[in-house]
Parts: sequence; C-alpha cells; structure tokens
Amino acid sequence: MTDISVEPAVMTRDFNAPMQLVYEAWTQAEHLCQWQVPNAEVVCEYVSADIKAGGSSLHKMTMPNGHDMWLLTRYQKLDPFTTIVFRQYRSNEEGDILPPPMPNWPKEIEAIIQLSENNGVTHMKFIWQPVNPTPEEAEAWTASHAQGAGGWARSFELLAAHLAR
Amino acid sequence: MPKTANTYDTFTAIAEPKRRQLIEVLIGNEMNVGELVETTQWNQPVVSKHLGVLKAAGLVSERREGRQRIYRVNAQELQPIQLWIKQFEKYWNQQFDQLDAYLNQLQNKGDNQ
Repeated sequence: MTDISVEPAVMTRDFNAPMQLVYEAWTQAEHLCQWQVPNAEVVCEYVSADIKAGGSSLHKMTMPNGHDMWLLTRYQKLDPFTTIVFRQYRSNEEGDILPPPMPNWPKEIEAIIQLSENNGVTHMKFIWQPVNPTPEEAEAWTASHAQGAGGWARSFELLAAHLAR
Repeated sequence: MPKTANTYDTFTAIAEPKRRQLIEVLIGNEMNVGELVETTQWNQPVVSKHLGVLKAAGLVSERREGRQRIYRVNAQELQPIQLWIKQFEKYWNQQFDQLDAYLNQLQNKGDNQ
C-alpha cells in the first residue's frame, strides 16, 4: 500500500439535458454503445452489463481492421442521478484484466462522475485518478500530463500531422 | 481458449520504444527493410522482428513490389490508441462531445413523437 498523491485529471462539461437522462446514458448499455465509440468506423458491443455498485460490464470495440479491444468496467458506486464511480480496464474477451498498455502506466484508474442540474442543464464533473499508484506509476501519470513529455508526444504529433494531410 | 503467442494487441505492440520509433519513421513514408535498417541503424533481424509484431497487430502493412517488400504504417489504426493512452483528456472530451450529440438526438426524437 502506497500513500502517494497525484493530481487527478478533472474535466467539466455542461449538457443540455436533464440529469436523469445524462445518468442513464452513462449507466445503461443500450445508451452507452450509441456514444462511446471513437469514430463511426468502430463497432461497439456489450457482452455483459451488470451496471450497479459492485457489478461490472464487458464490452468490445471492433476496429476497422477487425481487431477487437475489450474493456472491463467495474462499478464502485452508483447514486441515481448524481454520482457514478467506476474503474475501467482493458481486458480479454473473458473479462480477465490485461497489464497496462505501457510500462508504468497506472494499473487502476478510477473515474468519478458528479452530476448536478440547473434549469434543465446538467453540469458534469469528471475526475480521473490512479488508485494507490506506485512511485513509477505516479511519475508516468504526471509525465502524461506534461506537454511534449517522452516519446509519445512526438509520435502523436507526427501522426496527427499525417492524418490531417 | 489459449491465445496464439504471435498475436499481439495494439497496446502491447506499441509499448516497446523501438516499435514506436519504427512507427514514427514509417509515418508518411513507405520503406523496405534495407531503408529501415539504414534509417534506424539497427541490424536487420531487429528491424524484422519488430516489423513482425507491428504487422501482427495490424499497425503496419506490407506490399510486394518486385522482389521487395514495402512497409507502411496504418495510421488510422493508431488513432484510437493515441486518444486512449496519451491524450486521455482528449479521448474523454471527445466522448463527452459524442454524449452531448447523442443526448440532443434523443431529446429531439422525443419532441417529434
């Protein structure tokens, strides 16, 4: 057990929809697949969706080249219609958690979604933070926030420039 | 069911720095193995080994031109991973954009009924 604190990534967003609908879009499989794909070429399918505190869901994203990416989501806490806490992991088709995608990437990252509504507009606060990171994980997490850190940033700049052509 | 040892998922494929470097070299450039050896200054077996992994993951494809095999990067396949790992804020922001559009779509449907 480590006691290292890292800066969470915090994002906020306002949706022109009631809180209940936003909550349902995050917690019902039939909604989730409608918006959780990176682009129209990617096909999403939930093979299980036990979306409740202590439950989990397993879904796959099929890339244009036919490769599948499986994601396991474990729900820690669900408070209709204000709070959703989950941890998402890449997994295999059995739902077995796979190691992090790059060396020292945090093994567990928790997402906390807080919703509040004002005049029909839902304000969402999205907090993303590693759970009990090792010193190396904390470093990788922090580095990923920094502009131009490591080899990734450069690869991705090149890639972005290429795709924009 | 056991997975075959030579299938790599995309994340594993790009976790290795040398493979990321190969991807960088190949972005926007088609090259054969000789050119890759010259550019990277690695020996040919090393280049071939890493190319094999990138090919198995679908990140690099090859075509034949006479006796040559020419390699190119499948940039579109890298895009979701880019969003997922490094630019996760961008990834989530994009997700939120999609959620926003979806919520609007849902509500417009409701109005028409």
